[in-house]
Amino acid sequence: MAPLLEVKNLNYSYGNILVVKDVNLYINEGEIVTLIGANGAGKTTTLRTISGLTDASGVKGEIIFNGKNIQKMPGNKITSLGLCQVLEGRHIFSKLTVRENLLVGAYTRKDMDNVKKELEEIYTLFPRLRERMEQLGGTLSGGEQQMLAIGRALLGKPKLLLLDEPSLGLAPLVIREIFEAIVRIRNTGMTIMFVEQNSKIALETADRGYVVQNGQIVMEDTCKNLASNEEVKKAYLGED
Amino acid sequence: MKLKSVSKILLAVLLLLVPLLFRNFNYGILICGFIGIYIIAISGLDLVFGYCGQISMGHAAFFAIGAYGSALLHKYLHLPILLTMVIAAVIATLIGALLAYPASKLVFHFLSLATVAFGEIVYQLVAQSPGGITGNFTGFYTDSINLLGFKISTNTRFYYFALVCVCGFLLMKHRLVKSKEGRAFLAIRENSHAADGMGIDVKRYKIIAFATSAFYTAFAGSMYAHYVRFISPETFSNRQSVMFLTMLLFGGTASLSGPIMGAAAVLLLNEGLRFAERYQMLIYGFMLLVVILLMPGGIYGIIKKRIDKRRVVS
Repeated sequence: MAPLLEVKNLNYSYGNILVVKDVNLYINEGEIVTLIGANGAGKTTTLRTISGLTDASGVKGEIIFNGKNIQKMPGNKITSLGLCQVLEGRHIFSKLTVRENLLVGAYTRKDMDNVKKELEEIYTLFPRLRERMEQLGGTLSGGEQQMLAIGRALLGKPKLLLLDEPSLGLAPLVIREIFEAIVRIRNTGMTIMFVEQNSKIALETADRGYVVQNGQIVMEDTCKNLASNEEVKKAYLGED
Repeated sequence: MKLKSVSKILLAVLLLLVPLLFRNFNYGILICGFIGIYIIAISGLDLVFGYCGQISMGHAAFFAIGAYGSALLHKYLHLPILLTMVIAAVIATLIGALLAYPASKLVFHFLSLATVAFGEIVYQLVAQSPGGITGNFTGFYTDSINLLGFKISTNTRFYYFALVCVCGFLLMKHRLVKSKEGRAFLAIRENSHAADGMGIDVKRYKIIAFATSAFYTAFAGSMYAHYVRFISPETFSNRQSVMFLTMLLFGGTASLSGPIMGAAAVLLLNEGLRFAERYQMLIYGFMLLVVILLMPGGIYGIIKKRIDKRRVVS
């Protein structure tokens, strides 16, 4: 079976500066895949390029999602094909209520009856969102905002969910809660890719991982193997 | 809940009885007619500014296109007036879309500058029209609205006509902002990057908002033309655009009732300060300053805060 997402020889440059170099990666249906790496390694740019949020003129290579080459598509078209990204820093709509935020996520959907059912599922997944249903998005805590951003993306019924730094700026306990939710979401059959600086929790959560360094993928393996790799341990897990 | 529906019925009865209450006060009915016109005009502006977060400093241009479009179509093509009003509003919608297409890439002050320029272009066009068809600075006279033989020639008749129009336009606005499209507008206003990430075609919706808004304001403009029955460029200068913004901000953005309260309050104030007409712009400027600094939500915002507070207590 062909992978759900296949990226071939992807290059991205900001003007003259090449930040993503010959990246090749794939994601099979039902997998959780992570990109780990240091600050400025090009993880976020890779993710943003896949979902069409970077300037298209700097992109070279092929991005095949669900059998279609999406490399030249604008971001909103890609979303409607079922590839949804939770942006870094969450970007929730701070002056809309939690419910309204979630409904904007269902923007591309036409089956409003199902949306209502799924809204319930999201409230079950994140009970705190149910409690705060009528509250404005901007009044939520960081962790709740991250939950909201994930819930909002889920309501778009994506085939592939991309998450950019889900742990950014959150307390350790909240991070754990978010990643437990990610596993629960995968158990419903969702395919997930996330970028993460917190390599420890990333490798614990995902099935496979790619290590990104200076815009290139330098290692690729199952997370189990990556976690026991000496170099990874030294560079990213802080063990000697 | 029950109290709410009772007060709604009371309000409806009151609105229907206005001409009776002002039986011997024709001037009052006249003003109410104008309030209706402005409610429609700034409800349109609210769609673009309040909901979609795009500033327009040139909405007087759409007001002008509606007024001149309708009056000219009637004068030269002899079409029935209600039809000309609709045609003029549709033309304005198309022009609005055409303007929004390049303007949708602009944000903040660049967008407002573009709309200022647009307002100025339209103003110059009607003030110094090719072949003098608009009567240039002198302006020209036109007829009142003709509803299949029934002439809306008195203030009372116009009041009822305006009441129906206001209800229609507000209902349309209510349905629009509660729909999927309305949510897309709000998402764009709040965070256009995230909106794009949700699959919303930001550019397309900015154009839709602008074009719809042009329809509202242009229709109001055509109502104005056939109410006053005389139009001249003076009414459509940038002063009018500033007045629209003042009304909207004063009443409160992104709501149904904000434009109603804003239009009524500013217009009544305007009439009350007739003796100080030459200081009008000064007064608007001052009001805008006060609103922005002291009551960013407008009258609507203040009332809403009160109600919300009471809800928390109880």
